[in-house]
Amino acid sequence: MTKDLITIDRRVTLKWLMGTLAVGQLAACGDGAKGISWPEMKAIEAAGIGKDPDFSNITVPWPLTMTAAELEITAELVDLILPGEGDIPSPSAVGVPAFINEWVSAPYPDQHKDRVLIINGLKWLDDESKIRNGVPFIRAEAAAQTAILDDIAFKDKVKEGLDKPAEFFGRMRSLTLGAFYTTREGWADIGYMGNTPGTGDYAGPTPEAAAHIKGVIEAMGLKYTPA
Amino acid sequence: MTPDDPHDAVVVGSGAGGAMAAWMLTKAGASVLMLEAGRDYSPDESPMLNMAMDAPLRGVGTPDKEFGYYDATVDGGWNMPGEPYTMAEGSEFMWWRSRMLGGRTNHWARNSFRMGPYDFKPKTRDGLGYDWPVSYEDMAPWYDRTEKLVGVYGSNEGLENHPNSGPGVLQPPPKFRVWETFLKAGGDAINIPVVAARRAVLTKKIDERSPCYWASGCGRGCSIGAAFQTTTSLIPWAKKTGKLTIATGAMVRNVVLDASGKASGVIYIDKATGLEKQAKGRVVVLAASTGETARILFNSHVTGRSEGLANSSGQVGRNLMDTVGSSVSAYFPQLEGRPRYNEDGAMGLHAYIPFWDYKRIASGEVDTPRGYHVEIGGAFGDPGMGVGGGLDGYGASLRSDVKRRYGSRIGFTQRGEMIPNANSFCSIDTNTQDRFGIPVLKFNFAWSDHELKQVKHFQNSMKELIDKLGGTLVSEPDEPAKAISKGGEIIHEVGTARMGADAKDSVTNQFGKTWDVDNLYITDGSVFASKAHKNPTITIMALAMRSSDNIATRLRTGEL
Ligand SMILES: Cc1cc2nc3c(=O)[nH]c(=O)nc-3n(C[C@H](O)[C@H](O)[C@H](O)COP(=O)(O)OP(=O)(O)OC[C@H]3O[C@@H](n4cnc5c(N)ncnc54)[C@H](O)[C@@H]3O)c2cc1C
Ligand code: SF4
Repeated sequence: MTKDLITIDRRVTLKWLMGTLAVGQLAACGDGAKGISWPEMKAIEAAGIGKDPDFSNITVPWPLTMTAAELEITAELVDLILPGEGDIPSPSAVGVPAFINEWVSAPYPDQHKDRVLIINGLKWLDDESKIRNGVPFIRAEAAAQTAILDDIAFKDKVKEGLDKPAEFFGRMRSLTLGAFYTTREGWADIGYMGNTPGTGDYAGPTPEAAAHIKGVIEAMGLKYTPA
Repeated sequence: MTPDDPHDAVVVGSGAGGAMAAWMLTKAGASVLMLEAGRDYSPDESPMLNMAMDAPLRGVGTPDKEFGYYDATVDGGWNMPGEPYTMAEGSEFMWWRSRMLGGRTNHWARNSFRMGPYDFKPKTRDGLGYDWPVSYEDMAPWYDRTEKLVGVYGSNEGLENHPNSGPGVLQPPPKFRVWETFLKAGGDAINIPVVAARRAVLTKKIDERSPCYWASGCGRGCSIGAAFQTTTSLIPWAKKTGKLTIATGAMVRNVVLDASGKASGVIYIDKATGLEKQAKGRVVVLAASTGETARILFNSHVTGRSEGLANSSGQVGRNLMDTVGSSVSAYFPQLEGRPRYNEDGAMGLHAYIPFWDYKRIASGEVDTPRGYHVEIGGAFGDPGMGVGGGLDGYGASLRSDVKRRYGSRIGFTQRGEMIPNANSFCSIDTNTQDRFGIPVLKFNFAWSDHELKQVKHFQNSMKELIDKLGGTLVSEPDEPAKAISKGGEIIHEVGTARMGADAKDSVTNQFGKTWDVDNLYITDGSVFASKAHKNPTITIMALAMRSSDNIATRLRTGEL
């Protein structure tokens, strides 16, 4: 590990010294190959949901904390994670960046952990892009963006030294998928057909679904019992 | 009448046990004062069909609402500000409480499995634990009456120690969903039964309660009355008799005795004013829930005695039990990409795995003395915030992975019997008081080897089933000592004022009447003499019904 790390650091340091960029403090300590630290942040103190929220007037009681710039990178990133496809909108088109903002701004311990990871991670993404491409992440070419993601998005192929950015990416992926697939558009995409009150007996599997499972079960040499 | 008037009965608590007592007694013509520590509540408040995205944080659990934003629990959870409890060094115990009319019946999962003949006489069968003073035969008619009143769906499978209900008692169960049919095929092949589950959910209309409409998680509360909760049934019915007075925000501290040693009522703190008040009745019924009821007894000082009220046996607080819990889950490639349809159903179990291995326990081939059942979960549910779990990469391939995996994961949770042990009990922590100045409970809890071996049996059996169906474990289960739930975590805590045949080693008789005080009754889970693997609430209600019938008779005859 150390060998690679040194190589990367040397490259970074070189670029930095060449003065092509003003990337801020790339101190030679902390996590990550680029020596960017992931500083702890002050916990948010704000009103939470409480133990008896009023369901007839649902509100998010805490102030939102992300900057416009952070939201911009977030939008770029969530749309790379799950790009729109045909009729299926992209996450940024159904409010996922705003949801991430709500999430990282919440006054709870889990969300605080994510905030530290995400706010620092967004900064890392931008710095990394500036180092590699000379421009902030949102202005990088598509191929340059995915080149960065390819180093952090695959469990078994995380580039050495990039564990922390990979952790950040994993969290963003999870939040993006969760936020997207809980929208009506997400439901349509995944094929969730519930939350629809019906009358009479529960309909059970459609003929198509029943025939399919019958086939599966019998192909396994097991006995099928109709519902 | 007002809470200041003397009533025939004072009932403490409005959950499963308290509401059943109030209904039975008012129906029999007695006047009842129900004291409930929480606020007034009706599931009309429930935003049943709201989407997760309408809630903060997509409705996920937070320290404020641990079971999610929409969970019906009011002013409760694992932690209640101003109402702590403590734990003995080295013990961990989780205690889920709520403070609302209807108590935890507003959001329970409604799984309702009646106990069987073995479950009432465990000590006679294997020498462990303690026998109930009632047999299954004594209880069968009360189960029938309770199930019929409550409305329980299920089927009669005639399985060992899983008794059938009487004719016409059960409501028809909803159809199995695809993944349940799939599990059944695997189970059939290796003799693990997968049968219709029993839940306190209507599939046919009864009285003013509508049948299930197949949407909206029952934990939010069911305003159409299909999922049983006391706030849409027993409590409104009792109110209709004109005999019920309810005081909410009434935190009971102790029972009051008269000069002759009979209960004359209780002292409670009226939360609105902070004032101490006294409620008077000819009979006092405690149903504040397991733990709370013991706490009231401990905090009721009796002149000349240090052990609290109704505790000449020394058994108050003892024999604290919870259900044994652990889980495994697996992906089934054979379920990937299956045709979509609406699998919400009754938003809970349609099928489950009852315990099947009694014969090999009896023969000694199985090294754990007691059984468990398995509650299963899968389905094309609302994808929720967990939908991305275990996925990798990004872009178009990520989308197709999400869609392929959807509906192909099944979770298996063990719900097993715990044998009472000397290390699991609660007592009063004399150093800590809640915000009302009432001394709080301190818990001791430990599992024994019996439960750990049972976890192993479960893990091995489920692996066999998963294997038969070509599944892969999401992760290898931990060793039993790590895999087992924490005490209280399954929220089936019972015991702490057990019933028995002998005043020397039990707190109440078979009707929940305390041996020491002739007009003091207990109708919640405290009276359990054992904790069978069957979820407790239907049994709490059947016992409460039976005990209340006894109270009603004694009130009528003037004995009380
Ligand atoms: C999420 C969840 C799922 C569950 N699922 C199942 C299931 O599927 N099947 C099953 O059998 N069980 C289930 N349970 C357990 C079930 O809810 C309880 O067994 C049942 O509610 C116990 O009834 P109870 O009357 O003893 O207590 P509760 O329902 O808790 O009612 C007690 C009431 O007394 C009040 N009270 C407490 N102390 C005082 C006091 N000092 N003065 C006045 N009032 C007081 C409380 O505020 C409460 O309203 C579940 C529980 C939870 C939380
Ligand atoms: S699933 Fe059925 S029983 Fe449960 S809350 Fe919805 S309508 Fe009520």
